[in-house]
Amino acid sequence: MSHAGTSGESPPAARRRRARPPQPQERAAREEAAEAAQEEAAEEEAAGERLRQLSIGDGDDDDREHNRMIRSQYRELISTVQQNREAMLNSKSNRLTEALEEANRLFDGVCRAREAALDAHFLVIASNIGKEKASELHSEMSAFDSTAFAEDLLTFMGINRTEVEETDESEDIPGGFLPTGAWQTIGEEAPKYFRRAPTFHYMMGSFKSEPPVPKQRIERQRKASRRKAERAMPAQLKKMEESHQEATEKEVERILRILQTHFEDDPNTPISFFDFVIDPNSFARTVENVFHVSFLTRDGLAKIKLDEDELPIIEPIKPSEGGEEEDSRAGARNQVVISLNQKEWKEIIETFQIREAMITPPYQATEEEMETE
Amino acid sequence: MSQRKRSKGLGCSQLPDGEDDFIPTQVERRSPEQLNQKVSELVQFLLVKDQKKIPIKRADILKNIIREYKDAYSEIIKRADRTLQEVFGLQLVEIDAKRHIYILINNLPCAQGELLCRGKEQEKMGLLLVILSFIFMKGNSVKDSALWEFLHLLRVYPGKQHGVFGDVRKLVTEEFVRQKYLETTAIPLTDPPEFKYQWGPRAEKETSKKDVLNFVAKMQGKDPKFWASQYSEANKATT
Repeated sequence: MSHAGTSGESPPAARRRRARPPQPQERAAREEAAEAAQEEAAEEEAAGERLRQLSIGDGDDDDREHNRMIRSQYRELISTVQQNREAMLNSKSNRLTEALEEANRLFDGVCRAREAALDAHFLVIASNIGKEKASELHSEMSAFDSTAFAEDLLTFMGINRTEVEETDESEDIPGGFLPTGAWQTIGEEAPKYFRRAPTFHYMMGSFKSEPPVPKQRIERQRKASRRKAERAMPAQLKKMEESHQEATEKEVERILRILQTHFEDDPNTPISFFDFVIDPNSFARTVENVFHVSFLTRDGLAKIKLDEDELPIIEPIKPSEGGEEEDSRAGARNQVVISLNQKEWKEIIETFQIREAMITPPYQATEEEMETE
Repeated sequence: MSQRKRSKGLGCSQLPDGEDDFIPTQVERRSPEQLNQKVSELVQFLLVKDQKKIPIKRADILKNIIREYKDAYSEIIKRADRTLQEVFGLQLVEIDAKRHIYILINNLPCAQGELLCRGKEQEKMGLLLVILSFIFMKGNSVKDSALWEFLHLLRVYPGKQHGVFGDVRKLVTEEFVRQKYLETTAIPLTDPPEFKYQWGPRAEKETSKKDVLNFVAKMQGKDPKFWASQYSEANKATT
């Protein structure tokens, strides 16, 4: 408001100042006088205007207060109407009319668009309620009593009204015990009123689409992990492959050395095969040892035979020509398949009282190396 | 021939819109065995799809069965309908001409006392019939609050698990609506939002206002003419 006052004042004066063109002096003097008079009048006008605006500005705070009150009253009216919608819809109540009258009264005090917008909002809500009321009037049709219908339905369902059911919701609900087959009773009656296509089911059951799906997922997971493993592999493969081959050869050599060392200590006593290969701490290493020993026998560097007790013994072969010929032929002819499972492995450990492995595990060394690194 | 083919290609997107002049020539290109095969596949497809009572979309039919036989679509549909009627006593009905949605209904008059529906289904149908009757007698449209108020009287509560129906709210607002037995629309400018219920297209096809009025009359032991305006509306509908 105060801004309006000042702005109201400046334009006329500015216009006049801008509009004054340069003129010959005679006319200028006359015109100056006239203009001065005009100016005075204009100034008076402007002053009067300012006063007027200021007078409104005085009630400015009151005005704002007034508008605020109107807005809050409107909002209250709107929320009341929305919350009590059901009550308003009741055909017997006049509450909607009362609300409309209230809004009319409020509208008298409205002078700005802001409050008018609220009034429009209320009007929309009120007219919606009015429309609903009207449609309800029409839909009364031939007065259908839904309560009576519900009661008749319950009767049909076989309600037992002599027994009173103890429920906490039984405020408006009539007492009575509804048997368990209640809805089944109606269910038997209902299909007569529908032209419902009976659902189709295979007599012997059908293929269900569900089982294949999990398999696919598992397969995909496996494939995915395999692919990932393969992707990870190429970088390392080159290193690993060589070391695998070398490792096997090295292992075999190492085992041969162990065997020869033991045999040197005691040349005449062959070593029990089981004592030699079995690692009481690890089944896996036992199997590995058997695997490596088989290389030795294949290459003719060691031989396995049965002693008097029919237990296998192992001893290294000294590289002598005659021995080689005989043994290699013998070795070439004989093949043995040894099978060993964990149970047997444990039994052997117990029977032979094997406490420690004769073939020291190879990884201990590398682990130590890694630790020091 | 080539001209017809070209125009058929353009018209393919509009499919079964009275291009019967072109169909015979296209159908001739396909051998009768191929067509019969497609018809049988479609019949099986429809029967299985109908198990859940969820309407079948034309798009699904095209994608799964018809595929490259798109040009013979209306012919295949017609024959499948005939097979369903002659062999199974069912009928293929399009309930939405714009979006092309189909349902299967029973062509034969209501069978008395036959176990075509099993226990659980029957009970749901009972509830559905009650709801449809309520909606019709109340002027074909009710607010959800009014509906639940009515179901209250029958010991069915939206917030409480029902011994027979379980989550009733879900059954009514989701299952029945999805099956197109009921239709729900929001009432504008309500806060919190309220909905109104009407008969869905499947209900319109599977039952009639007259049948439902007869049910109400039977329950209440009155003559259907007792409710004059509903009676006149029901009879208008059948004509």
